[in-house]
Amino acid sequence: MSPICWKSLLGVTLIALAPCAATTATAFTACQVTDTGGIDDNSFNQTAWKGVLDAQEALGIEGRFLESQAETDYDANINSLIGGQCDIIFTIGFLLGDATEKAARANPDQPFSIVDFAYDPAIPNVLGQVYATDEAAFLAGYLAAGMTETKILGTFGGINIPPVTIFMDGFVRGVDHWNAEKGDSVVVLGWDVETREGLFTNNFDNLDDGRAFAQNLYDEGADIVLPVAGPVGLGSATLADELGTDKLKIIGVDADLYFTDTERQHVYLTSITKRMDSTVAQVIEATMNGDFAGGLLVGTLENGGVDIAPFHDMDASVPDDLKAELEALRAGIIDGSIPVDG
Amino acid sequence: MTVLLDKARQRQTRVTGVILISIALLLALFLAPDATGNATFRLSRPNDTWPVPNLVVPGGAFIYVVSAFTAFLGVRLFLRGGAKWAPLILGVGLAVAVAAFLVWATAGKSFSLTGMLQASLVRAVPIALGGLAGVLSERVAVVNIGIEGMLLAGAFTGALVGSLAGGLAGLAAAVAVGGVFGFALAALVVTYRMDQIIAGVFINLFVLGVTSYVSSQVFQEYRALNNAPVFRAIEIPILSDLPVIGPVFFNQNIFVYGAFILAALATYYLFHTRYGLRARAVGEHPRAADTLGINVYRTRYVNVTIAGMVAGFGGAWFTLGSVGRFDEGMTGGRGFIGLAAMIFGRWHPVGALLAALVFGFADSLQQKLALLGTPIPSEFLAMAPYIATIVVVAGVVGRARAPAADGKPYVKE
Repeated sequence: MSPICWKSLLGVTLIALAPCAATTATAFTACQVTDTGGIDDNSFNQTAWKGVLDAQEALGIEGRFLESQAETDYDANINSLIGGQCDIIFTIGFLLGDATEKAARANPDQPFSIVDFAYDPAIPNVLGQVYATDEAAFLAGYLAAGMTETKILGTFGGINIPPVTIFMDGFVRGVDHWNAEKGDSVVVLGWDVETREGLFTNNFDNLDDGRAFAQNLYDEGADIVLPVAGPVGLGSATLADELGTDKLKIIGVDADLYFTDTERQHVYLTSITKRMDSTVAQVIEATMNGDFAGGLLVGTLENGGVDIAPFHDMDASVPDDLKAELEALRAGIIDGSIPVDG
Repeated sequence: MTVLLDKARQRQTRVTGVILISIALLLALFLAPDATGNATFRLSRPNDTWPVPNLVVPGGAFIYVVSAFTAFLGVRLFLRGGAKWAPLILGVGLAVAVAAFLVWATAGKSFSLTGMLQASLVRAVPIALGGLAGVLSERVAVVNIGIEGMLLAGAFTGALVGSLAGGLAGLAAAVAVGGVFGFALAALVVTYRMDQIIAGVFINLFVLGVTSYVSSQVFQEYRALNNAPVFRAIEIPILSDLPVIGPVFFNQNIFVYGAFILAALATYYLFHTRYGLRARAVGEHPRAADTLGINVYRTRYVNVTIAGMVAGFGGAWFTLGSVGRFDEGMTGGRGFIGLAAMIFGRWHPVGALLAALVFGFADSLQQKLALLGTPIPSEFLAMAPYIATIVVVAGVVGRARAPAADGKPYVKE
């Protein structure tokens, strides 16, 4: 249960189980506390960690992480990083919001940055990183509506919390936009924008839930499924691999799963990427230059904080007309002429 | 004494009657008027051999009929008593009430009933196998809290060896590693007389720590080590073409068949063989068994090791039978739910299997309800499997009795 920690990902280090003795050569250390999905979730936590790794390569900083095995680890993990050893502490995920606030208020000189959480009012030593994921999900919804043969799409989430449901909101509205434009009637199972209720696994750990939930949606006729549940979505990809992509396609979230889930990369129609790596690296660089300030950093389609991934293997099956429409849609969302929030 | 008991029983029966009458009222007053249109349950899939028409149920009418039936059962229990049949009648009442609830949720819509039933079985597998492992070890009076860890060890080994040497080798290795942990538990509690709960918790923590470490350090670098083949569903000829029953029972993978076969084998072993009788004697009264020449220690070692192997097989389901890759803590507490299944299956293999099926059914039911867009919040729906388990334990099964020597170490004199 104890958090695993290692000092550097440079090189294949199995010896690094030893307590992370920080080398004194580098002046700047960025630390990260993950959510329960773990550092290798091929998704959320891993993408944020990639930001630290990128900064490590580009700026020569030191990076280290602590994994939270359970929600009870949040406080302990954050507190064990306090005490001057970290120049900035990244806490990854909405669920760490309370623990981060508590630690930040107790240690006003320690810079923090939390992913997926915005404090109101802002805390001076916490920079919240939030993402207008619905902008990218809107594109994915429009794309899926244009690609489905059964006219039924499916989605499910990990937990009914805003950073999860914002994907589902954008997705459903993108489909609605398609229906309005084309006079079509594609339906999305698993999320109701009005009642704020839908299909949720209520965990981010049980991969077999991902398979079961995707099977459930497939049984109801869905041929494209969007799982918004971190690693749980990998279970959905296994089902799509087994059934064949002509029967079921998956849309990835957070990272471009074509590259992180390489074993089943052919099942992904696209991924709704949340470029936490880019924003985390930006925050590290700003902090190194002494420009850290609490507040809010919003990733949008415009600044590249969110996007949809290339279609990769499925590129040939996406009609050129649809690609052109998506480009127009992207421009419309960026200049504000197409509202994504209903 | 008997008079007192009878009175208590009669009161219980009356309470059961009142519960049924309240359910009937709830159905008639709230659900029935709200259920407009027909509820359509799809039984066949597009490419079935023998397609059967959809099951179409008129919403309001069906719920009124169920309500009347439940009220009849309740009034009968309340007035006439009949303590002997009370649990059965309550069970029937609850079952039809669940059906009415489902019709209400589906009114004006449709869903795949066959798909839901098929998912029930799939979801029940790890719980049934965990419960079966619990039965095998608790029947020889060894409390096995370590099932969760054994499932996780099986899942991990299945993924690792399965990636290197194929599915069957992975399965064999998972069973073997499960057996090793079973043997380790037996060694700790039988030979060293360690507290059984602590020994089990130790196994859980040890396996969680080791597998999480390897998964985040090694699997991360060498992805090919965590890419195991998944056992596909095996269609049983002819039988799998039957409508509804075919896809549910005869088109599943080896883990589903395995759970049924193992439950049958365990029942035969425990209740119809000499060795099973000895095992149960060791669980009930080890000293008496010892004086009759049964080797208590060896019996415990053998049974707990077999229990570990069953749990290892169940663990392999997570990786080789479902998603083909290992992830930290992916068993998600199913071992503990398996222990609950064991208890409300009354320490009987078939009971544990049925209990797991109740859980699996409630679990896939809540998924369908979430899709149908009922006004119930998804968090409450997610509780359904657990609530169903508690209701069935408390209401329908009644008091269950553990093996008399359960949890106690045996010291040979």
